Amino acid sequence: MTKFSLPNLAIYTLIFIGGVLMIIPLYFMLIFATQSREVIFSFPPPMLPGSFEQIISNYNALMEMTKGLFWRVFWNSFYLASVATITTLFFSTLAGYGFAMYDFKGKNWIFNIVVATQAIPAALNLIPFFLIMNLIGWIDQPKALWFPGMASAFGIFLTRQYIQSAIPRELMDAARVDGCTEFGIFWRVILPLIRPALGTLGLISFIGVWNEYVLQSLILRNNETRTLQTLIRTISGGTTVTNIDYGGFMMGTAITVLPLLILFIFTSKQLISGLTAGSVKS
Amino acid sequence: MKLRTIIAFGLATAAVAGLVSAQTGMKKITIAAFPSLDEAVKIALPGLKKKYPNYDIELTALQYGDHHQALTTALATGQGLHDIEAVEIGFVGKFAEGGGLEDLNKAPYNGKSFQRLFVDYTVAQATSSDGRFIGMPADIGPGTTFYRKDILDKAGISSTELTTWEGYIAAGKKIQAKDKKVFLINSAASAAGLIWRSNIPSGEGIFFSKDNKVIVGPDSARWVKAFTIAKQIRDAKLDAKIGEWSNEWYEGFKGGTVATQFSGAWLQGHFQNWMAPDTKGLWRVQDLPDGAYAPWGGSFYTIPNASKNKPEAWNVIKYLTTDRAQQIASFRGNGAFPALKSAWADSSFNEPVEFLGGQKARLLWKAAANRIKPLDVNKYDSVAETIVTTQLTAVLDEGKDIKAALTEARAEIEKRARR
Amino acid sequence: MISPAIKSEVPQHWTQTYTRWQRILAPYVFISPFFILFLIFGLFPMIFSIYVSMTSWDAISGLGGMKFVGLSNYKFLLDGLFDPSKGDTDFWKAIRQTAYIAVISGLPQHLIAIPLAFMIHTGMKRMQGFVTAVYFAPFVTSVAAIAAVFGVLYSERNGFLNWFILEVLNKIPLLNSIITDEPIKWLGNKDMIPISISILVIWRYTGWNTVLYLAGLQAIPQDLYEAAEVDGASKFERFRYITLPLLRPTMFTAVTFSILGGMQLFLEAFLLVDRGGGNQNAGRTSVMYLLDNAFNNLLVGDAAAQTWVLFVIIFSLSAVNNWIFNKIRND
Repeated sequence: MTKFSLPNLAIYTLIFIGGVLMIIPLYFMLIFATQSREVIFSFPPPMLPGSFEQIISNYNALMEMTKGLFWRVFWNSFYLASVATITTLFFSTLAGYGFAMYDFKGKNWIFNIVVATQAIPAALNLIPFFLIMNLIGWIDQPKALWFPGMASAFGIFLTRQYIQSAIPRELMDAARVDGCTEFGIFWRVILPLIRPALGTLGLISFIGVWNEYVLQSLILRNNETRTLQTLIRTISGGTTVTNIDYGGFMMGTAITVLPLLILFIFTSKQLISGLTAGSVKS
Repeated sequence: MKLRTIIAFGLATAAVAGLVSAQTGMKKITIAAFPSLDEAVKIALPGLKKKYPNYDIELTALQYGDHHQALTTALATGQGLHDIEAVEIGFVGKFAEGGGLEDLNKAPYNGKSFQRLFVDYTVAQATSSDGRFIGMPADIGPGTTFYRKDILDKAGISSTELTTWEGYIAAGKKIQAKDKKVFLINSAASAAGLIWRSNIPSGEGIFFSKDNKVIVGPDSARWVKAFTIAKQIRDAKLDAKIGEWSNEWYEGFKGGTVATQFSGAWLQGHFQNWMAPDTKGLWRVQDLPDGAYAPWGGSFYTIPNASKNKPEAWNVIKYLTTDRAQQIASFRGNGAFPALKSAWADSSFNEPVEFLGGQKARLLWKAAANRIKPLDVNKYDSVAETIVTTQLTAVLDEGKDIKAALTEARAEIEKRARR
Repeated sequence: MISPAIKSEVPQHWTQTYTRWQRILAPYVFISPFFILFLIFGLFPMIFSIYVSMTSWDAISGLGGMKFVGLSNYKFLLDGLFDPSKGDTDFWKAIRQTAYIAVISGLPQHLIAIPLAFMIHTGMKRMQGFVTAVYFAPFVTSVAAIAAVFGVLYSERNGFLNWFILEVLNKIPLLNSIITDEPIKWLGNKDMIPISISILVIWRYTGWNTVLYLAGLQAIPQDLYEAAEVDGASKFERFRYITLPLLRPTMFTAVTFSILGGMQLFLEAFLLVDRGGGNQNAGRTSVMYLLDNAFNNLLVGDAAAQTWVLFVIIFSLSAVNNWIFNKIRND
């Protein structure tokens, strides 16, 4: 389809350079994780990974700085992000489907309210949110962090947009003729068809919860349930940390990114092939 | 029938379980802190275990800012607090004014009897305007001048020249003349910050007088001096324009491109542990210029009203703060300068500090700690600090007139504090 | 599906009524979880913070420490706009800086993502998945981790960026005459700070927008392109006359996200320049400012009022965006 031509060459060169720029910081993140503090801050900066001994030493420094909590806390974050993702996928898609495929009274208004809630800066709800969690006794419990966000406005917005543009309404009528209930249509017809959107939303939800730390630092203030981001922040330096091993810290941050990258590799095939290979309409 | 049996059995089991836990009698005491105070607690854990074998102590730490934000949120609702909450000196004055922390002067604590054990200014700092004493001091950070002896020697400067600001600036010029790459100080703003928060008449604050009047302004000698000295340093190109706690800052120490630093005594530990271990023997310390004495950090332990184990929490705090051996151990292990005066009698205070070329630096810090005066805290202090810092940057970076900047700073602070 | 067993027992009109009613009620049931959760966990905090915005409160004195002050917190904010000598000018400066960063970080994202998505969609066959993955990878990181890396890359004396500019680009003849030979203060200079923050934002979110646009592109029927190609339309013409108009709903979605996200930018800026926003508060975003007010200055009442003014601003911007896209569609 594409012929070799000068403009094409220019465009591909640009895409290539852009791609390199996208990778450079990630590359350095991995390099820094394997180098000592002295090397990380030397001039010119290190361009290649460090020795195996240095990697081990950074890993040990990380374990030392996190006082043996690292992997347990890692699991806490993983659990929290997984539960949050699964529940968000279900409830947001359900609502997005409701908005996309039905006409009901006040629909536009109701949808606008959903969108409007996203414009509320979340920052200041910290204190009242903490107050509620106290009232219902959810302080120090992971559910305080995934339960309220099960049906996210963002997810509803995204899936509604996707279902609307990708799934013809005639499909609903066909399913109804076959005797499907309304929920049955969602579960058996719609969900399988919108897998790419599910992949995207799932990935975004996971990343969002995995990276959040403000609410987590307020609610999960104990070693049993605390999460990775707050732990990494604790060793990140500043006035009060008397002995920070920067290599170990970089190792920690690189490890926090690892599950996201792995998850991405798993979902990306579905995500991208779903997006590009064939439209669900065809 | 069956159901009843089950319930009865359940109750019996529960009772037995209760009995067992009553027998072992373990009490869970939670402590929330921030680094590196959590290290000090950790060092104390074996001793605590021995003294109070039935306390099950759980320690958690959050990043400095996160910890105080979480504590503020919990205090706002009066719930979800740990039995012991650590508070840093920058927050302790503010938190004293709120009502969510126990007054340790009252029974059963009777903290008043312990106050004479600590450096004066720490006790005052943790006491509210209506006399409530909310935090037992753990460690302090007496301010001091760090300087590179080798650099001074090379430029033919005696360290006593650094004890006045004129001498300090002159020394900077000599250092620059000797080697263009070496700067006197990381940032001119550091000098300004030191001047505006030291040599303050007792009972007055940094930004506000006792009766809440703004004392920042072109008519305040202290503020004019702070801005002027900083400007002189900047104009003579003596500062490296590096922010503290940045990568460049660490590099400056390691590469020997910064000759002096005003900081708390604890900076020596940072130097030695990770910032610039290779510069061992090259640094020395002495008193701050112009007879300034200022605190640089410090921590306190508090008991929230909502704590469910107050007597136990108090026992733990007493051990952490007033046990001499414990304070010495935490000083040796973690470099935390004790707030407990009797700990200073330990032999380690007379020992030469190897990293500082064998200088008996701790005696100097001891003396400095005794001369630090408490500062009057105002609820708008942090607002005012942001405002003057912004004005100072305008003076240093854009050549804004000092009087104009201070006038503007005053107007800006007044505007906010009036409300 | 209704099982045959039930079908035989239940009279015909009952099943019909059931089918009808479940069809009418279904959408309400489907969207209800959001609203139930919102009522419990979203609405109460909102009402609470509306009340707090009308008080003077330092948080640490507990709920009993609130003092009702009416609308004076709002008045102080609005005075900042109309009468600088009396009101909070810093808030508006933070809004200005946030908007500025949102524009210089937002526009490039879309200007890159749309043509890029188009190229990936139409031009590449085997490389599609790989290229998308590469551009999307930055989104799949944690801000904290990547801000730490950017902090090192931006380092004035030892950073990769300055090394590249001074030691590589500056060694190239011709280029060296137009490129600075002074190290750039990426996070120290007040004009550079917004740019440095924006670079991080662009880097992280361009791939995300590309994926959004790819999703929009795949919804455009392929036969439209084929018909245009038969008619002899060039690639650019196909892009201009088929892709752009049909991509409008996606553009609306993506731009909406950019506005919502850009005006609430916090973490990226906070981790790079800390709570004050660096030199002359150049990188202090509105959310940073109000969080600082709440948790450092303990002016929770003011911070709550700032939150609501910010909400009105963000909401208005989204409304304007909505209006513009509707107008384009109707023209």
